[in-house]
Amino acid sequence: MATRRNRRAAGAIALVVALATAASLLTAGGAGAGSQSPFALPRQETLYTSGKQWGPYTGFNPLRTGDYSTGTLGLLYETLFRYDPLKDEFVPWLATGGKWVGRNYVLTVRNGVKWNDGKPFTAADVKFTFETGKLTGSEYSTMWKTGLTGITTKGNVVTFKFGGRPNFQDWDTILYTMAMVPKHIWSQYSATEITTGNADENFVGTGPFTYAAGKGGSQTLQWNRRNGWWATKAYGLRMPMKYIVDIHNTSNTASLQNFLQDKIDLSNNFFPGIDKQIGGKIQTYYAKAPYMLSANTAWLVPNTTKAPLSDRAFRRALAMSINVDRIVTADYGNIVAKANPTGLLPTWNKWIDQAQAKKLGFKYNVAGAKAILAANGYKDTDGDGYVEGKSGGDINLRLIVPNGWSDWQTAIQIIADSAKDAGIKITPAYPDYNSLVDERNSGKFELVINNDKQLANSPYSYYDYLFHLPISETMTVVNFQRFTQAGAAPWALTLKFNKVKSTNVKLAKKYQSQIQKYILDYLPAIPLWYNGMWAQYNTSVWTNFPKARGKGLQTTPTTWNGYLNMTGIEALANLKRNT
Amino acid sequence: MSEVGHTESVSTGSAEISVVLVDEPERRFGSEVAHFAIRNTKFLIGLSVVLFFLVLAIVGPWLTDAEPFEFGFPTGEPPSSEYWLGTTAPGQDVFAQFVYGLRASFVVGAVAGLVAATIGMAVGFTAGYRGGVIDDVLSMLTNVVLVIPTLAVLIIVSAYLSVSSLLGEAVLIGLTSWPWAARAIRAQTFTLTSREFVSLARLSGRRGGKIIVTEIAPNMSSYLFLVMILLFGSSILIAATLDFLGLGPANVMSLGLMLNLAVSNAALQLGMWWWFIPPGIAITAIVGGLYVLNVGLDEVFNPKLRET
Amino acid sequence: MTRYLARKITIYLLTFFVAVTIDWAIPRLMPGNPIDGLISRINADPAASEELHGFFTKSFELDQPLWKQYVNFWWGLLHGDLGPSIAYVGSRVDELIWAALPYTLALLVPAIVLSYIAGNRVGAMAARRKVLDNTVLPVAYVLTATPYVFLALLLAYFVAFQWQLLPVSGAYDFSLQPAWTPEFAQSFLSHWILPFLSLFLVSFGGWAIGMRNLIIYELEADYANYLQSLGTPNRLVRKYAYSNAVLPQMTGLALALGVIVGGALVTEIVYGYPGVGSLLLTAIQNRDYFLLQGIFLFIIIGVLIANFVVDLLYVVVDPRTRTGLQGQQ
Repeated sequence: MATRRNRRAAGAIALVVALATAASLLTAGGAGAGSQSPFALPRQETLYTSGKQWGPYTGFNPLRTGDYSTGTLGLLYETLFRYDPLKDEFVPWLATGGKWVGRNYVLTVRNGVKWNDGKPFTAADVKFTFETGKLTGSEYSTMWKTGLTGITTKGNVVTFKFGGRPNFQDWDTILYTMAMVPKHIWSQYSATEITTGNADENFVGTGPFTYAAGKGGSQTLQWNRRNGWWATKAYGLRMPMKYIVDIHNTSNTASLQNFLQDKIDLSNNFFPGIDKQIGGKIQTYYAKAPYMLSANTAWLVPNTTKAPLSDRAFRRALAMSINVDRIVTADYGNIVAKANPTGLLPTWNKWIDQAQAKKLGFKYNVAGAKAILAANGYKDTDGDGYVEGKSGGDINLRLIVPNGWSDWQTAIQIIADSAKDAGIKITPAYPDYNSLVDERNSGKFELVINNDKQLANSPYSYYDYLFHLPISETMTVVNFQRFTQAGAAPWALTLKFNKVKSTNVKLAKKYQSQIQKYILDYLPAIPLWYNGMWAQYNTSVWTNFPKARGKGLQTTPTTWNGYLNMTGIEALANLKRNT
Repeated sequence: MSEVGHTESVSTGSAEISVVLVDEPERRFGSEVAHFAIRNTKFLIGLSVVLFFLVLAIVGPWLTDAEPFEFGFPTGEPPSSEYWLGTTAPGQDVFAQFVYGLRASFVVGAVAGLVAATIGMAVGFTAGYRGGVIDDVLSMLTNVVLVIPTLAVLIIVSAYLSVSSLLGEAVLIGLTSWPWAARAIRAQTFTLTSREFVSLARLSGRRGGKIIVTEIAPNMSSYLFLVMILLFGSSILIAATLDFLGLGPANVMSLGLMLNLAVSNAALQLGMWWWFIPPGIAITAIVGGLYVLNVGLDEVFNPKLRET
Repeated sequence: MTRYLARKITIYLLTFFVAVTIDWAIPRLMPGNPIDGLISRINADPAASEELHGFFTKSFELDQPLWKQYVNFWWGLLHGDLGPSIAYVGSRVDELIWAALPYTLALLVPAIVLSYIAGNRVGAMAARRKVLDNTVLPVAYVLTATPYVFLALLLAYFVAFQWQLLPVSGAYDFSLQPAWTPEFAQSFLSHWILPFLSLFLVSFGGWAIGMRNLIIYELEADYANYLQSLGTPNRLVRKYAYSNAVLPQMTGLALALGVIVGGALVTEIVYGYPGVGSLLLTAIQNRDYFLLQGIFLFIIIGVLIANFVVDLLYVVVDPRTRTGLQGQQ
């Protein structure tokens, strides 16, 4: 029989185990966090951001544009120019200017810029950076395959030589998206490390902040303000915050909690229901709907190699059966806006042939959708409420979005629900992100929502996205829908447009109007809504955030990849303490 | 331990329920059981709770025009006379989701319970009746599966297989929940196998399988019934957890899925209690009702437990 | 006793072997290829993708024949090396798990121990007094029937969101760094208490009910009646009953471990607590074979060790096992 002594022994064993756990916890917790500073940062000197980083802070390679941790490009590394999408202007940054001389692009490198290890930034660094595009696996290989033949430097002038007519639109984009890396550090890295690795241990950049802590599995990533940033002298820009701490996201709702409790200043998360919280200390770019700037278009991408999606009449009927207004109001609470029938973002309004879009563009019209289906041989022969294909087989389209993207999950449920009214059967599915990418890139999918193409200096990237040829076995970045039905014409026009300087407005508009006609007529992908540049501000510690009204405040308020090197840096420099 | 029988502690879902085994073969049921059952408060309470939700699951969908995945209703409304359980943030009818979800939960619980019971009986009877090496092997197999945390296995497997139907989910759950049932049945079978009537049956030349079916099983039918109730309850709990993680069928509304949708749409932050509290309470009530029902029936079947 | 322990150890080793094999096999039997997912995240052009595919397949050793991968797996296991992570590029799987493990243990160990002790005590008390029985028992039934998930959500909703008393998400405030300061300790505890409570309460219910039923059963047994008829004080009779009831409860503890581990995984996910559960979720969302394997392995080893500890305790508590007489099956 169990004696008191024995039971006590058992209890003691258990307690010791518990205590040992608690002890190991604190030590391991420190190891896991991987951070160095032993005390909390002064709140008034720190800007807390969230919303960009979902994975761990392991990537710090700015040449891998999809993968680097928050702020790597923008706070640490910088680009030759920056682009202001709201003014449609280029801001000379690490370069003081550039111009085309015949087929060559002549760039002047700014004097007096120092890397944060003290060494000077020179034309040699620019040449080195551009030449990494020649390495296997580089994201910048295209320019070397489509015209760029060589680079020469003389003093602080860099000359890019092109054989044949340069792709001006592409080139403009590279000028403000390619990060400049230090030759004296990066020449030691192997080719694989530069193109697809994350081997950077040195964090040597020209930007206003240096890496402080957080690499690895930490909850936060900390950047410290550096002295000697060149832009203070050149532009009078000074960063008001000593520290920027980005917070790793576990879920949007967890970040919402912290945001509402004044622990996060600038949140670039998507917050469900935020429209009900805006007011007082919670602010956004616009004071009224749509509250947010538009950052990218959410397209419903159909696999045009599979019936019935290969039939453009069916695609049009599908487009007309989707109640996008309901997605905008019910799913998003009006923090997004319905897309133009061409799918081009509002900042490109001047390039859109509005009259043509009005005439040829699709509208939500269930009766019209039904009529088109009936007229093209899609009938409901078995009375189940859904139409069958031309040869009689059932139509059941699988529509996929990544698991966990709750707003998109709701959106495709709404799409399926509204398409039902027109008789089109859609089944939503939510595979994990990697499986979805695999299904999409290999051409196995039927319908997918995609918004990869972001705001940029020109709609060229959108035309490339829709019409790129040739089609390979895997399409990894553009033309997931494998559209070829309009022949070579739209792609040829896109290529022609690429070779037009953006200063040649008349010619640019002419080509784009023709390309847009193909979009409207053929619907290679169906534009649904503009995803917002999610930005919510909590003004309890910092104010003077980007706004539609206010002098000098029209800047891009987000820390997402590729936006700091637009006008995000100015947005940060404009902030003021809320005293 | 006492001489009458011995207790077998079993874990189901989150419960630590003891089911008492009895040595005496059971008499004919009929009115004796019914007599005691009706007078047992636990049995009555448990049964009424479960029946209430069962009826709601069956009749509920007829009471509403809305479909669980239908949109177009006002967004984020609290319960009112028009929307009995309110609406979700993107504008769906919570009551519709609730009653269809109840259906799904009952279906999964029943099918998974059946699958687990079948395997458990197969393994338990065989091990208990045959004994010896077969018993050692089966026991070892049972112990191995028993130790491995069910939920961890289910999470991993469901994540890979992308379960798309209720039946698929139920079968998966059944395939991992049978061990404790096997152990309990095996222990009881052991006891019965040593009785004279079984030896007699053996002598008369009947084959093992037949003996199990005709002699042993009927004599533990009440016990089997209790085991199945517990399996039913634990399956509902496991299914709710899997659905909450998003690992259940995504296009079939279930109570766990309601919890998932509520949480990812910030129902907690926005104070939409009507979206996640009803499904949670329903699961708790049904499973709790089943446990209480189980205890009550245990008392009915085993006079020793009846409180005087 | 040695025979009893030896038998137990054999079972555990066998279980370990089977579990490791299943653990290694499951990701490989499942549809999908982890390398494809990794490649898709790198926006390289098709030619480069091909090359990268080969490169990664080689570096993750997925081009070896299956039996060789299996052997390598055991080899690595014995060296404590569980391979590289695909989701957390650059980290080793064992690093990640060791970092997350203390948080899970911080929830699990106190929850298991305290709920077991408290549950048994309260259950025993309820078996004695009718008044206590009528209040405690229904509460315990409700608690044990509540899914871990729902209790976690309820606590989060009321305590954290409505009344704003405690935080939700993370193990400590993100503006602090782990250190031996009262500030950090307070932040840590305030983040810990809710997930701990939700695990504790549900398990507590189960133990209380179980103990109460067993005590009642024991008190009805012949020996108890005999002692009472001899005039033995009730307290002594209850003590004997309790001692006997503890044994099957202990057996139950070993079985309940698997359940509460599952509960901890889900609770961590609800509260965003950075333990093994959250790591598991990330591994699933990224189809990270190696991380999944590693986590599952840790869970199995942990449960086996815990089972063994319980068996040792059982030897301490039940003298019959020491003398080689009848004991638990």
